[in-house]
Amino acid sequence: MKRLIPLNEKARSLATAAQPDGQASLMSNVAGCTTTFDPGWEVDAAGGLSGLCHPMEADLYGCTDPCWWPAQVGDSMNTNPDWTDGKNSALRDWRQLQSLFPED
Amino acid sequence: MKYWFALLLAFCALTATAKDYLITASRPNNLHVIDLAARKVVHNFVIPGPGIASAISVVDGGKVAYVLTNHNESVSGIDLDSGAQVFRADMSYGNVRVKSMLALALSLDGKFLYVYQIPTRLNRNDYEVLPTRIAIYSTSAGIAAQPLRVFPAPRRISLLAPTAKGNLVGLGWDLYLFNTATGAIEKTFPLRHWQRKGLGEPDILDFWPQFERAHMLSTPYYVPRTDVAATAPDAEEIGILNFDLDQESMTTTEVGDADVGLFSSVVNPANKNEVFAMMNQLCKIDLAAGKIVQRANLDRTYYAINISSDGKELYLGGATNIVSVYDSASLKKVAEIAIPGGGDQGASSLRVIRR
Repeated sequence: MKRLIPLNEKARSLATAAQPDGQASLMSNVAGCTTTFDPGWEVDAAGGLSGLCHPMEADLYGCTDPCWWPAQVGDSMNTNPDWTDGKNSALRDWRQLQSLFPED
Repeated sequence: MKYWFALLLAFCALTATAKDYLITASRPNNLHVIDLAARKVVHNFVIPGPGIASAISVVDGGKVAYVLTNHNESVSGIDLDSGAQVFRADMSYGNVRVKSMLALALSLDGKFLYVYQIPTRLNRNDYEVLPTRIAIYSTSAGIAAQPLRVFPAPRRISLLAPTAKGNLVGLGWDLYLFNTATGAIEKTFPLRHWQRKGLGEPDILDFWPQFERAHMLSTPYYVPRTDVAATAPDAEEIGILNFDLDQESMTTTEVGDADVGLFSSVVNPANKNEVFAMMNQLCKIDLAAGKIVQRANLDRTYYAINISSDGKELYLGGATNIVSVYDSASLKKVAEIAIPGGGDQGASSLRVIRR
């Protein structure tokens, strides 16, 4: 990156924008949900499973709707609002949920 | 004189015939009214427009429930008898996207609706973060409601609650007491910025408002101890934060080692030293003793807990489509009410009102 030199105004603004302060990087819901990042979902605080929601599907839409774990589950608040359309019970309908890709 | 007499008559009529009702929401965009004594869902209403219904605000005797919907960008007021939409505030405008992270509340008289708003200007090449704020709406504004006024508010607020003195409480990194007339922060109760010997910064995840029966805003918190090794079994503690909405005072009480996950808590209106909290376990907490005194394993995860007016029954909901009823003395399950259609409640509120 040190060899890249911004040549126009937009490139220069990107160079400065890439240095958010600590507060900005932790604010939820500023530019899509990707500013909220809670590692988790797969393991609990003790490294096990008993502290997770059960059944696991019970927690799925509670994470999807407020966009809690955007890396692990779909973001139905901003980027993929129709991901769960017609699949209103995670326990019943989880097999119908499709993988998401950037172009989606 | 006539006004007060009419109010007194109305109050007597409400208390003489009023029953507890539970209001919850489910996917894709439904609002449900449950007669708790009958263990029966008496109304299933469809909220117009796209979902997902989540935070709900309604007051005792209220005719309308105000629900956050449209992917957190709108508030819909639904008549609890007819199901008609009688209020609608679509918060986004132009290229400004306005969302609320589940923080809305009615004034106690039901005349004003407070909504915490997170605006972002969606420019062609960048997103511009705009200052967060609280918007005040008249509940009589009808469809296409516009705020009466807005005032600035700190970021990261996920719960709002009205106080008996007409102020408004916002729970964020700290707890703020807003003057609703001026918008000024009258007092900040430090949480993330507290300086307590032997304790680090508390961590709170809570967007479930359930303060209406005891007039106490309650939430679990987790806090690391700084006076023991980070690897010690008691290095992390659970606490209960209670904010008294009548007195505008806050207490924080550590109740034991962090050996259980707790999403939300509710205070017993019949005994304000007693708090119930849950996620995978239902816990009864004695604040005077400073400990969890009773536990029961749950059949599934619940997000939200509420309590009957007499403090004898607990209602557990959120996540899936089930509302479970537990006896608050024995912590035994006494009933289960299924939401019609099977849609998940997700992160929706679980409110108990008398009407």
